[in-house]
Amino acid sequence: MHMAATPHKVSATGGAGSGSSTIVETLAEFARRRKSFWVVVSLATLFTAWEIAGRVPISFAFPTFLETLAALIEMALDGTLLPAYAITFQPLVIGVAVSAVLGIGLGIAMGLSDKAEWLLAPVFIVLQAAPMAALVPLVTFVYGIGLVAKTLAVIMLALPVIVLNSYKAVRHVNPSLVDMCRSFQGTRLQQISKIIIPDATPVLFAGLRLGIAAGFIGVMLAELLITPTGIGDLITYHRSIANYAHMYAAVASIIAVSTITLAALQYIEVRFLRPEKRRK
Amino acid sequence: MNMLARRMRASAVAAALCLSAAVPGLAFADPMRIAFGDIATVESLHLLAALERAKEKGVDVQVTFLKSEDIAAQAVVSGQADIGIGGPYALLQKVKAPIRIFLQLSKLQFYPVVNTEFYKEWKDLNGQEVAVHSRGSGTEAIMQLMADKNGIAYSNISYVPGAEVRTGALLQGNVKATIVDSSGKRILEKEAPGKFAFLPLGEVAATDEALFANTDYLSKNQKDVEILVESILTTWREVAADPTSAVALREKYKLLPDATPDMVADIDPYFAEAAPALPLNGGGEDAAKDDFDFYTISGALEGNAADLKVEDFWDLTALNAVLAKIGTK
Repeated sequence: MHMAATPHKVSATGGAGSGSSTIVETLAEFARRRKSFWVVVSLATLFTAWEIAGRVPISFAFPTFLETLAALIEMALDGTLLPAYAITFQPLVIGVAVSAVLGIGLGIAMGLSDKAEWLLAPVFIVLQAAPMAALVPLVTFVYGIGLVAKTLAVIMLALPVIVLNSYKAVRHVNPSLVDMCRSFQGTRLQQISKIIIPDATPVLFAGLRLGIAAGFIGVMLAELLITPTGIGDLITYHRSIANYAHMYAAVASIIAVSTITLAALQYIEVRFLRPEKRRK
Repeated sequence: MNMLARRMRASAVAAALCLSAAVPGLAFADPMRIAFGDIATVESLHLLAALERAKEKGVDVQVTFLKSEDIAAQAVVSGQADIGIGGPYALLQKVKAPIRIFLQLSKLQFYPVVNTEFYKEWKDLNGQEVAVHSRGSGTEAIMQLMADKNGIAYSNISYVPGAEVRTGALLQGNVKATIVDSSGKRILEKEAPGKFAFLPLGEVAATDEALFANTDYLSKNQKDVEILVESILTTWREVAADPTSAVALREKYKLLPDATPDMVADIDPYFAEAAPALPLNGGGEDAAKDDFDFYTISGALEGNAADLKVEDFWDLTALNAVLAKIGTK
């Protein structure tokens, strides 16, 4: 618990003798300049709370943060974590790729054409509202227990989110921009490629990010409900032999990977596709 | 005045409601909450009958069916259930929870099976793939144990949870060598006689399911626990002496009312096969030692089997008291 003390606390106590007001000022200045400071503080608070909860303990089966970290490092070093991710990523990458292409395509079609909307919107609204955890086991009745079934589970979760966001993105394009295009005698094709899609991009990307997050949920559901492989296998196996620190480490690692993936996607979007959003 | 009357009526109704909610709670202040790790099937018929008998003797048994043994074990650890069903050896060793096993219900009964188009005996499985239930499971340990005994090594072990799923995969030809339970064995013999061969299995004696509870609960509710243990042991002995009595027990206590005709037809053959292996003396120290041997090999337990202490895993008080009363068989 003491080891998880936040870095700023260490520096604060270390320099207490030289006058605390300057320390606070430097710290405030540092926090103002580097936004990541608050991310670190937030995580440190979470991990400290976790460590305390583990030491109380709130349950016999709840490991401390440090135990979990040790288990994570152990799994990373003994070569169980990387191969597990290699297996988990197969259905995830295929599923998300299919959902992204198909989802953005269908969503844009639905946004542009009333007929496509009439045909597809109810289906995807129902799919988005459906509790997928209940439907994933049904996939096995048709597609068995292999890669196809797991990829399908990812698509089932990711596709509706991407389709509906793309559809809304196109529907909410600024009408005065479309009017402007018409005033300048733009063709329908120019209207779509030069006005509608660029203006819809932010929401399209938001949909894509939500879709990838849903894809992570889908792949974990598949690995926990269909057959245990990859990270799902690490979770089930360590649970069955009561290695709770390892089990939590596997769960925490997939959360971390999912978060980092989404953060990276946001960075790429802001950095390369939407220069106006970049912080100067 | 009218206002006051209305208020009084409202309070009276509220008080009555509170009382009616509290009274049943008082009447059955201490139910024995048992958590199953699986849904009730034909295979748990004798246990359900034994629970009915314990109820007849005044133990207020409440049964919950949970999704898996792990969850049943967690329910006991967290105090949401009093008694769990499963084989929580790994949990007992690694989590220092005050949980002890107090009665063995069944031993592992599995049958390694191969498709005779491809394999005939253990030696043929050298360098081949086999399917088992899950990593670290009893089925994997049995297959690994037999591989060691026959001096062979598998090329790969795949994990297919559910004996009925593996049975289906075997019939469809997706799996060529695996290990199934007794109902899977009967299905294979019925659906495709002669197509599959069951490989000989050496001496494997390990607990499949046992009853476990918090030590605190065991010491505070000694009488109820003894009634439960006695009901189970006498029912076990009855079924072992006459396997067909299971059907009669189902009718007598109206158990598994939703069972399909197929399930009902499966009762007799299942108990005919299971009866000789039923633990009639509740396991105890000998069973614990067998389990240490087996589960250290399977990986569920760590360390040397000889170094493990029975009292760290079992609480024999209730079992010994009941055996002193009804004798050993």
